[in-house]
Amino acid sequence: MNLPLLNNLSIYEERVRSLQTNNVLTWCSGCGNYGILNAVTHAMALENIGVEDAILCFDVGCNGNASHNIQAYTIHGLHGRVLSLAAGIKIADPTKTIIAFGGDGATFSEGVNHFVHSVRNNFPIVFIFHNNENYGLTTGQPSATTPCGAKMNAAPDGVSTQPINPLQFALSLNPSFVARTYSGNAQHMTATIQKGMQHKGFAFIEVLQACPTYNKETPDEWYAAHVKDIVEHPNYDNRDIWDARRIVEDLNDTFYIGVLYQNTDLPDFLSVQLSREGKLRLVDEVEHVSINNFY
Amino acid sequence: MKRLCIKIVGASGTGLLSTGDILTRALASLGFNLVSDREFPSLIKGGHSVYTLNVSEDSIYSLSRQADIIVALDKEGMEVYKDHLKDGGILLHAYERFGGIKDLIEEFQSRNVNVISVPGRKTLQEIGANHLMVNVLLIAMLWKVLDYDYEYVEAAIKEKFSSKPKLLEIDLIVLKKGWDLADKKLDFSKPKKPSARRFINGNRAITLGAIHAGCRAYYAYPMSPSSSILTYMAELASKTGMLVKQAEDEITAAQLTIGSMYMGARAMTATSGGGFDLMTESLSLVGMIEVPFVCVIAQRPGPATGLPTWTGQGDFHLAKYAGHGEYARLVIGVSNAQDAFDLIQHAFNYAELYQIPVIVLTDKQIAESLWTIEDFQEKAIPIERGLVSGEGLVSSDRYKITNNGVSKRWIPGDGPAYYFANGDEHLEDGSLTEDAEPAKAMIAKRIRKKESLLQAIEEPVIYGEEIADISFLGWGSSLNVMLDVIADFAERGVKVNYLHYRYLFPLKKGKLNNFFTKNKSVHLIEGNYTGQFGQDIEACGHEFAGKLLKWNGRAFFIEDVIEYIDQNLNKNL
Repeated sequence: MNLPLLNNLSIYEERVRSLQTNNVLTWCSGCGNYGILNAVTHAMALENIGVEDAILCFDVGCNGNASHNIQAYTIHGLHGRVLSLAAGIKIADPTKTIIAFGGDGATFSEGVNHFVHSVRNNFPIVFIFHNNENYGLTTGQPSATTPCGAKMNAAPDGVSTQPINPLQFALSLNPSFVARTYSGNAQHMTATIQKGMQHKGFAFIEVLQACPTYNKETPDEWYAAHVKDIVEHPNYDNRDIWDARRIVEDLNDTFYIGVLYQNTDLPDFLSVQLSREGKLRLVDEVEHVSINNFY
Repeated sequence: MKRLCIKIVGASGTGLLSTGDILTRALASLGFNLVSDREFPSLIKGGHSVYTLNVSEDSIYSLSRQADIIVALDKEGMEVYKDHLKDGGILLHAYERFGGIKDLIEEFQSRNVNVISVPGRKTLQEIGANHLMVNVLLIAMLWKVLDYDYEYVEAAIKEKFSSKPKLLEIDLIVLKKGWDLADKKLDFSKPKKPSARRFINGNRAITLGAIHAGCRAYYAYPMSPSSSILTYMAELASKTGMLVKQAEDEITAAQLTIGSMYMGARAMTATSGGGFDLMTESLSLVGMIEVPFVCVIAQRPGPATGLPTWTGQGDFHLAKYAGHGEYARLVIGVSNAQDAFDLIQHAFNYAELYQIPVIVLTDKQIAESLWTIEDFQEKAIPIERGLVSGEGLVSSDRYKITNNGVSKRWIPGDGPAYYFANGDEHLEDGSLTEDAEPAKAMIAKRIRKKESLLQAIEEPVIYGEEIADISFLGWGSSLNVMLDVIADFAERGVKVNYLHYRYLFPLKKGKLNNFFTKNKSVHLIEGNYTGQFGQDIEACGHEFAGKLLKWNGRAFFIEDVIEYIDQNLNKNL
């Protein structure tokens, strides 16, 4: 954490408070979203990202209902489409920190194509992937990350299809940043989100999220007992994609959390746009352009 | 109006496109007004194609179905398009196995067609040229038949092959050979003072209009006939400094556009009907969060894949009704290159001033036809952003309930007055609400923009005289054929007028009522089966005397309207 700030708690507290709203939070009691929103708020405060510095982009789902629970410029778009929306925002104003939020339904069913191409494009945005392994807002149907056999709404005999492993999927796309954290650990979440904010490229952060209403198998306590911080792993090199691919395969005993893979050499989308070299905000360029030489 | 119609026919891949291109350049350099278009199937090689060129010393906007001259690049072309040649017209071909076309030639001769031919392969072989250069041979012969100055066609060939000097050398030999092999056969006078004319297609004009209007990002997924806008934008990006991105699908293209527009940039996307289907949910989001949005639909006949490389006006209803829920929007119909350049600029202004989606309809004919133009006038249409500075504002200014439905819009991050651009129903600062009264008020506010927009947009335009013997009403590319028809019938002493809508929805009614009062025989002209736009006119209580509808993928040829008028003129008097 940022020590000078901790030495000045009143400034830090003020930054956090300035991001909080009076709007009522509408999640179930014990929902992982409370912790995630809190961690985002703290990460913003620690990174000194204020109201004029960031755009928060929300998908549709339980997480999306936070779009008015933070004093920030937010946009709450369509189900599955948040990454493309966020990319359009970042392209228009590269000076802003763009944080996108989406769930497992949005990311791996409705909008999986956007996820694939956002990773490929290495859009410089932070993507907080809320993985509670079900469709909470529509009352507990299975998602693409629900374990096979789980009895869910609309799947009374148990889910019959194999789940997607989100991190394995992401790693197959040659990403630049892949991290995992869980909704029961405020400090780890905050630190991981901060690292995502500092990354230059598409920062994919999976948050294993407790859903006390529809996913009783894996509450925060369960995660707490099964996760292990990657920094504790001997000889792990998070610059090695094969190390990362091996570590995310093992889902039964230990879930490693932290920044599991980072490639700082991969150029982000904006840095390879030759036509945009030396340019920043599109809005500053909106004026009549002579077309005399373009016929 | 005197027009010369030339059709080049043959399989795709036989040099048809370059033949059309060279002749377009050469005829435009003589100072002719010109329209040209290519009809082709949706495949890369093979199938029958026709490249049609119409030229005139007068203004000319549309194409004729019947040609004065057909240049056949192969036997099949001759067979397929034989009925497109006027009786007494000229057929140029280089097919040498005369036995195989004996019946065909006899048929042409019975129609008094002047058949001019040369043994193509043999002639080319003699001068050491490749048999594929038969098109250059025929270009030269055509030019001689028309008796136009050699230097113009030579210059066009040189321009076309400037990057391939070796090829050019042989092409020029072939050109000279063809010139020597033919004689003057047709007297169609060329402009007295040759002045090179600029020509451009609709997609290029839209591209230039958008660039001129300060569009800084273009996002699209390829779909005929909109795809060349993406090509043009990408090719020009190194000069314009724009961000041009091919998206993974049309939903992405729409979302990227929305994101950039939300941040105060000018961005746009273009597609055809099927791609727009995918964008409709995004359109609805725009209606809700009041972000400006500009999308071009280059129409082709549906449903489904339909006729991918053909034209029509079947997507007016799609543009008008797309997206769930109720909200204000603007639908604009473009007609030709000049229109495209102008209207795309207005589209950006209306999208931003009213914070609404603006859908600009073109079609394949507009997208790909070439028109000679005067240079576009720059800065004739001001850029109107409707943006305010965020300083001194409060969050609830963003979606404040106003009389005209328009609230202040400032760029996210511009000042401390954050707001929530919320796809859920919301209060004035964007906070989610499901309460009945605020929801009712907010929905009504957004729809009220339609009324204020209606006051701002232009009335339809009457072409021809106020009162006519027979009248038409329509939109989009119908304007092109109607402009030529009005001129043609004026020479015959018949008054034809045409009420043309550029702004299709919401519907302006001021001139409409007057037009129907003064003109007793008003006919609808529309490129679809159901007369979609006509239904909106009928909903105002007006009755059409008749409907000229076309939905076979082909544009309205001038003959379509002439024949319709001849059949209907006296019937209604």
